[in-house]
Amino acid sequence: MSTFKYADDKIKTRDIMIAVPSMVIAVGILAFPRLLSEVTFSSDGWVAILLSGLVAVIFTWAVAKIAANFPNQSFFTYASFLVSKPIAVILVVLFSIQGITLTAFEVRAITDISHQYLFQETPMQIISLTFLLVVVYAVSGSRAGIFRLNVLFMPIIFVTTVILVLFSIGYMEVKNILPVLKTDVDGYMQGTLQSALSYTGIGVLFFYISLVRNPKKAPRMAAFGMSGAVVIYMLIYLTCIAVFGQSATEVIRFPFVELAKTVEIPGGFFERLESIFFVIWIMAIFTTTVMAFDATIFALNSIFPKVKKIKLVFTLTPFIYLIALFPNNYLETDTFGDFVSYYGWGLSITVLILLWIMYKVKGAKKSGKK
Amino acid sequence: MARPSLFSRLKRKQQMKQSSQTESYSTKITKDLDDNLKNIKQMLGDPGDLVMRELMIGGMDKRAAIIYISGLTDENLINDNILKSIQLNLKKFDTNVIDHIHKEVIAITDIQKSNNMDDISFAILNGNTAFFLDGNETILLMSTGGGETRSIQQPESETLIRGPRDGFVESIETNMALIRRDIKDPNLRFKQHQVGKRSKQKLVLCYVEGITNPDIVEEVNRRLETIDIDFVSDSSYVEQWIQDSFLSPFPQLLDTERPDKVSSDLMQGRVAILVDGTPFVLIAPVTIGEALHSMEDYTQRWISATLLRMLRYLAAFFALFLPSLYIALVSYHPGMIPATLTYSIAATREGVPFPAAIEAFLMAITFEILHEAGVRLPKVIGQTIGIVGGLVIGEAAVSAGIVSPIMVIVTALTAISSFSVPSYSVAVSFRTLRFAFMLAAAILGLYGIILIYIMINIHIVNLKSIGVPYSAPFAPTFLKDFRDLVIRSPITKLTKRPTHLKPLDDQSKDVEPEKGQ
Repeated sequence: MSTFKYADDKIKTRDIMIAVPSMVIAVGILAFPRLLSEVTFSSDGWVAILLSGLVAVIFTWAVAKIAANFPNQSFFTYASFLVSKPIAVILVVLFSIQGITLTAFEVRAITDISHQYLFQETPMQIISLTFLLVVVYAVSGSRAGIFRLNVLFMPIIFVTTVILVLFSIGYMEVKNILPVLKTDVDGYMQGTLQSALSYTGIGVLFFYISLVRNPKKAPRMAAFGMSGAVVIYMLIYLTCIAVFGQSATEVIRFPFVELAKTVEIPGGFFERLESIFFVIWIMAIFTTTVMAFDATIFALNSIFPKVKKIKLVFTLTPFIYLIALFPNNYLETDTFGDFVSYYGWGLSITVLILLWIMYKVKGAKKSGKK
Repeated sequence: MARPSLFSRLKRKQQMKQSSQTESYSTKITKDLDDNLKNIKQMLGDPGDLVMRELMIGGMDKRAAIIYISGLTDENLINDNILKSIQLNLKKFDTNVIDHIHKEVIAITDIQKSNNMDDISFAILNGNTAFFLDGNETILLMSTGGGETRSIQQPESETLIRGPRDGFVESIETNMALIRRDIKDPNLRFKQHQVGKRSKQKLVLCYVEGITNPDIVEEVNRRLETIDIDFVSDSSYVEQWIQDSFLSPFPQLLDTERPDKVSSDLMQGRVAILVDGTPFVLIAPVTIGEALHSMEDYTQRWISATLLRMLRYLAAFFALFLPSLYIALVSYHPGMIPATLTYSIAATREGVPFPAAIEAFLMAITFEILHEAGVRLPKVIGQTIGIVGGLVIGEAAVSAGIVSPIMVIVTALTAISSFSVPSYSVAVSFRTLRFAFMLAAAILGLYGIILIYIMINIHIVNLKSIGVPYSAPFAPTFLKDFRDLVIRSPITKLTKRPTHLKPLDDQSKDVEPEKGQ
C-alpha cells in the first residue's frame, strides 16, 4: 500500500540538487563581477570562475559523499563516531557560529542594498527586522517546507536571470570582451580565490544530507546543482563584462543590479528594472538566509535534542539581529562578509579533510556494514 | 451505543430541572397501543404536523395505528400502499400478525422492524411512517420519505458555456443519484456518517475503491468522526471542522455544485463529501494547482483551454497584486513608471488630496462594499447597485477629486480579474490577500510586497490538505502532473491520474491489453 511518504520530514535527492544553488546564489553574486574584474584583465575572469567552480564542485561532492556514507545519521552522530564526541560538539558549535554570522550577514546585506535601490529614508532597523521576521516564520515551519520553498523560488530566479541576460544582448559589445587571456598567473590565482569565496554555505550539506531518505545519488546531485550555480555565475559575469567592459565593472558596486538598470524591456511598460529585479533577487537571498538559519537550528538541535526547535529559533533571533546591525557602513559590511566567507570556507575545508582522514582510518569498514 | 440514548438523556435532564412539573412518559414500547401513541406524542411534544391515524385491520378485529409527519412524507404513497392495503385486507392471520402484515399486506419496498423508541422517533422525524399494532411490541418502519424539494437546476455559482447543465440540490439522495448516473462503477463507495448531535443529518463520504488512496479515505473518515456540533446548515461547517489549518486564508477543501466536477475528481483519486441539506459538495484533497482550474478547460480544445488557463493565471496575478503595485510604484518607485506616464499620473493626481495608499484603500473598500451589497440584494434591486457603483466609481469620485482616473482603471481591472477566478472560495481568499499586499505596499513599497509574497509561499509549503502538501505538484515536484497544471494537454495525453494524490491505479484509461488475449 502506498502512503503519503512525501508529507513527512524527508527529502529527495532532487531537492538537494536545487538546494545547493539556492544556498550558493545570494548576495555575493550581485557584487561578484566587480570583485573579479578588480583582479583580472578584460573578460579573463571566466578562467577564474571555471577553476574555482571546479574546486567548488569537487568540494560539494566530497561533502555530500562523506555525509552520504552515513545515511540518515545526523552530522553530530557520524562526527562523534569519526572524531569522538567532544570534538563533534565543538564542530557543531563552530558550524552554528557560521550559520548565525551568515544569516546576520545576509540580513545586513539585504538591508544595505535595499537602502541603495529601493528606499533611502526607511530606517535600516525596520528593513532588517521585517526581513528577519519573515526568515523566522520560514524556519519555524517544517524543514521539508524549506526545501519546497527552494523548489518554488529557484525557477523564478533562474528565469529572471535568463531574461536579464537575454535583454542585455542588445547592449553587449565585442570590444569589451577582447582581448582574451592577458591576465598573469597571480591575477588568476586571486580571481579564483575571490570567486571561490562567493560560493558560501556548502557546509549546510553536512547536515542536510541526513534528511535524504536514500542518499546514494546525493553527492552526484549536489555536484550537479553546484555546476548549475557555476554556470549562472559565469553567465552573469560575462554579461556584465560584455555590457559594461572591465574598467566600468570594476567601479560599479553591484554590477549585476546595474545591469537591470541599463536594460529596457521591449514595450517599455516598466523602466529602471533594477528595483523589480532586486526585489525578485530578495527571494534568492531569502532561501540562502533561511537555510543558513535552519541548518544552525538543526545542528544545535542535534546536541540539545530536548530543547524545542521554536525555542532555539527565538533565542537566536535577537543575536542575529544585533550582529546584523553591527557594521556601521557598507565597507564594514563588506569586511563582515569577507570574514563570513573565509570562516565558512576555512571551517568547511578543515572539517571535510578531518572527517575524510578519520573515515579512511577507522570508519570505512564499520560504516560499510551499516 | 454505550451512552444512554438521546431521548432518555433529554428526559433525565428535564426531570432533573423540573421534576415536579414534567409529565412523565416512558421510553419503552409497551403492548398497549394507546400507551405507545401517548408516549410518542409526548416525546415529540404533540406537534401539529404529526399525523396519527388509528385504523382497524380489514378482515380482523384488531386495532392499529400509523404515525407520520405530514410535510416529510409522500401522502399518496401512504394512502395507496399502506392504508388501503391494510384496510382492504381480507385474510385472517392467527399468529404473528405483524410478520404477515410486513410480508403480505404492505406494498412498500423498504420496511424495517424495530422495538426501540429512539429509533422509531428518529425514523418518524426522517419521513418514515411507523405502524403500531395493538398488543404487539414490534413496530414497522416504512420508508415513505417525500415532500417538497427543489428540482435539479443549473448551478448558479458555477456556470459553464459548454458542459452538463445539472447541479446538485438539497436532497442528499438526489445528489448521490446524480453521481451514480455519471459513474456506473461498482467500486463507487458511499460511506455514510451522521453529523449534527441534534439534527442527525446524513453525511456521505464518496470515493472510488481501487483508485483513491486508502490513507486519504481513512484520514477523512477519522476527521469526520470528530465532528461534534448541533446542526450543520451547510457543508462549509464540515469543511471548517475537518480542514488542516483554520488560520489559513486558502480553502483546503473545494466546494462545488457540479456533479460532473465531482465525478471527474473522484476519478482522479479524490474523495467527495456530501451533506444532507446543501447543494455544495466538498472535494478533498485539493492543492494550489487546482485553484484556477475550471471544468470549462476540459470542454474546450486544448490550445484555447491552455490559453484561457494562462489568462486566468494573469488575472489572478492582477487580482492579487495590481492595487499594491500601484501604491508601491506611485509612492515609492515612481522612477519605474515610464516618464510620460509618470507625468500624466502626476497630473491626474494633482487635485487628489490623499496619498496613493489612502486613495487605493478608499477605492478598494468602496468596491468591496458594492460587491457585498450586490450579493445580498435581490436580483431586481441588484441592478441599481450596478448603476450607483458605476456612477460613484466611474464619474463622481473622479470629478470630485477624491481619486485619480488611473486609480479607477486599477480598481476596475482588479475587480474584473478577481471575478475570473473560477472558484468563489478561492476568489474570497484572494480578496483577503489583496488587502495584505496593499498594506505592505503602503508601508514598505515593493520590498513589502515581496515579503508578503514570500510569507504566502512559506505558508503554502507548510499547508496540507488531508495530508497532501498544498504546494503539490509544484513542490514537491511531480513533473507528470504538469500536463494538466498551467497548460492543459490534449485529452489523449491525459491518460494518467495525478501522481501527487498517489492513487492505487494510476491509469485512467485501460491501455494495457488483458492477459491471455
